[in-house]
Formats: sequence, structure tokens, C-alpha cells
Amino acid sequence: MFDISADHAIGLYAGFLALPIALIALWLRPARRTVPGTAQAAAVLMAVSGAIHLGLVSTHLEEPITSALFLMNGVAYVALSQAFTWRWWRLASSALLTSTILGYLLYIALGFDTPDQVALATKLIELVALGLVLVPVRGESRPRDRAWYWAALAAGLPLLTIVSGATIWGIDLATPDARHVHAGAILQATNDVATPEQTAAASRLFSETRAAMLPFDDWHQAWAAGYRPGGPTNMPTSHWMNEAYVKAGYVMDPRRPQGLVYANTRRGPVLLGAMFQMPRLNEFGPDPGGPLTAWHQHENICFTPFGFEFSLMTPFATCPLGAIDLSAPPMLHVWIVDNPGGPFAVDIDPSAVAAVRARA
Amino acid sequence: MNANTSRPEAAFVLLLMQSTFWIAAGISAFPFAIAGEVFMAILGAASLLLASFGCLLAIGLVRRWRRSRRWAIALEAVCLGGSILLLAVPVGSNHGLVSLLVNVALPLAVIWLLRGRKMRALFAR
Repeated sequence: MFDISADHAIGLYAGFLALPIALIALWLRPARRTVPGTAQAAAVLMAVSGAIHLGLVSTHLEEPITSALFLMNGVAYVALSQAFTWRWWRLASSALLTSTILGYLLYIALGFDTPDQVALATKLIELVALGLVLVPVRGESRPRDRAWYWAALAAGLPLLTIVSGATIWGIDLATPDARHVHAGAILQATNDVATPEQTAAASRLFSETRAAMLPFDDWHQAWAAGYRPGGPTNMPTSHWMNEAYVKAGYVMDPRRPQGLVYANTRRGPVLLGAMFQMPRLNEFGPDPGGPLTAWHQHENICFTPFGFEFSLMTPFATCPLGAIDLSAPPMLHVWIVDNPGGPFAVDIDPSAVAAVRARA
Repeated sequence: MNANTSRPEAAFVLLLMQSTFWIAAGISAFPFAIAGEVFMAILGAASLLLASFGCLLAIGLVRRWRRSRRWAIALEAVCLGGSILLLAVPVGSNHGLVSLLVNVALPLAVIWLLRGRKMRALFAR
């Protein structure tokens, strides 16, 4: 969702190219003075959206239905962008914009495509264009300038936007690609199947880390070593970070992991594992176990210093007020308790945490 | 720019969209609040309040309320400043197309639509 698909990039270029052309075409038409600026702006946005759709035809030729839909959509947008003086322009434009947005949602819901930045940006452009097409302008003596019309616009446009965002987000979370193991985490690229050497190296790393972690079974020892809990302690688990080790930038040193993960139990914290963290973004650490020890980087998370809490960034690239969007440098967990996903899984399985908490 | 300019209506649409994005951000905080992150509930509620304020400003723009124009410009300036700061600071914030459209282009467009002496005069009535 936050990437640009290779076959969609051309649509972006087409859209950028279309913007100045659409503005010049509008400027060259004296008839533009007979319509409000909102209609002119909507016409330009529809021309851009049309160009994006037309640009995508060439990279979807292997999917005849998709490319035909892109072609028809693009042509319709470009034609309507030039027909803003037509009597039925508002009706036709709003129908086309709405059906395109809803059609896209259906298309991705059926699994024919996956949302990316080009698609999301196009939908935003179309939503704004829809608002500009429908908004009544002062001075226009038309029956649509009525309270019920305003109410419908002020409720309908946000509703369509929320439905679009929720659908795109839901589909993105439900169908992660191979490198996005869960929301907001991107995996290090590795070979597909571990070699015997990589399996042995992963086993060695696990043994060394588990041995080095033994003293931290007692959380007081961890505290004495400089680890401090972050985030709310009413959650099932907490990450304890050692800022000195983070700053020092030790790379996968089993004796000095940057973080520890504890289960929060009635009898106090119980150690679940260790976490190695790289000092800088986008620099994945050494990967001795190949696919077994792939690092992951959390991206597009909304972090708030209030209580050291986080949430996920919306498809509209917004965070709750008071939280900022950031990424965490690559990390690798080593789980020293039985974890169904394995000792190096990105997350610890809730059942493993529940078992630890039940024992405590 | 005559009295029948549609700039306030265009700004209305953009502010309405921006408020919707804040609503989405506010709602997105609540699942995390339910999971135990209590501050997220407060931030979610604050986002929804901000969205309500944005809607109020949008209505004020259509009605040509002077204070709405001022507050809208101030709000967008703060949003734009924060977004540019996030783009400049290397914390790994999203620099994607949607982020640039929503957090930079949209506030910039609202400021551009409402700026200037003539718009000030339009809202003074």
C-alpha cells in the first residue's frame, strides 16, 4: 500500500505529464469563464486521473479486461474534462467518478489488483474532483444550492472517503505480500530456503543468545544492566530497551542485545527473548541464517511519546493527533521460549505469551 | 476576483477531505486503545475533535465568516510546518505520494485559495 508497483509507475508519469497539458488546454478555452473555478479545477483533476488510467493500459495488456476498463475510463475522463460547459456535465462527471471509485474497491476486493501509492493517489484525486464537481458555488442560481444538498454533500463525500480508506486498508492488512509479514513490518530480502550452513549458523546464534540471556530471567539484573521498559505495562508484553547499547550500535552481539522482551505477568516480568537492533534505518544486519534470521523494519507506524505508545498510519498517511509517523531501524528477535513461529519470528505468538503468563 | 468566486467552496471541499482524513486517524487509534494503549484513546478523541473543528471551519468558509478564513489559514500553516519538519528530520517518516498530497499539497492548496487581499475583502463582508 505504501509502495509503488512497477506496473503502476507509468501511470504516475502520465499523470504528472498531463497536469501542465490540462492546465494549458483549460487556459486556451475562453468558455472556461462561463463556469466556476471549482468546475475548472475538477476538469483538470479528471484529466490527470484520465491520463493515469490511460498510462496504465500499456502495462496491463496481458489482462484484456483490465486494460479495456482502463482505456474506457481514461477516455471518459479526458472527454469529460473538456466538456465542462455541457449541461449534464456535473451529473455525468459525478456518476463517472463515483462508479470508478466504487469499481476500484470492488476490483481490489475481488483480488484483481493490490492497492499501491499510485492507486491511492488517483482515488484521492477523484474524491477531491467529486467534491469540486458537486459543491454549489455562491451566485449560481440553481436548485442544488439548498440545505439538503449541502448536507448530502457534507455527509456523502466523507462517507465515500472513509469507505474507500477502510476497504483499501482492510484488503492490504488481509493480503500482505511476501516481504510484509504483518502490518508495518518489512522483511529483509533473503534466499527462499535455508542451506545446511545457514541452519547451523541460526542454531548457533540461538544457543549463544539464550546462554547470554540467562541472567536476565531476573528482571532486576536487566534493570541493573541498563534496560528500561517502554510502553504500557498493562499489555501482555513489553520491550525493555538499553539506550547505551542502542547508541553504541553493537551489531548482533548476543551479550549486548539492544532490547529484551518480557511478558507482563502477575508475578512480574518474565523473559521471552532478546531483540537486536541496527543503528540506522534501511541498513539490515548480518543474516547468518538466511531466511531463518531475516531482520525486519517497522515502517509507517504512528508513535506518540505519551506513554510510549503506537498505532498504524492510515492509508491517507495520517496519524492520530499527537502521534508522528516514523520507522524503526531493522531488528531481529530471538525468542527463548517456545514460539510456534520459530525462535527468530517477527512476532511472538499470543498463545506462547499466554502460556508463559498462565505458568506465572 | 469577484464576489462570486468559488475559491471558498474549493477550500471547503479540501477542508472537508482533510477532516475526513483526521476522522480516519482518530478511529484508527481506538483498536489500539482497546488493546490497552490508554493514551491512544485520548489521541483518537483529540483527532476527532480536530476533525470537527475542521468541518466547522469548512462551513464557515462557505458562509464567508472572517474568523474561519483566519483560523483555516493558521491551521493549514501549522499542518504544513509540521509536515515539512517531518520530511526534513530523518526519522523514517513516510515520503510517499499520498503523504505528499495529503500533508503538503492539500494544506498548501487551502492557503493558496484563501490568501490575498481580495479574499480578505471577500470575507470581511
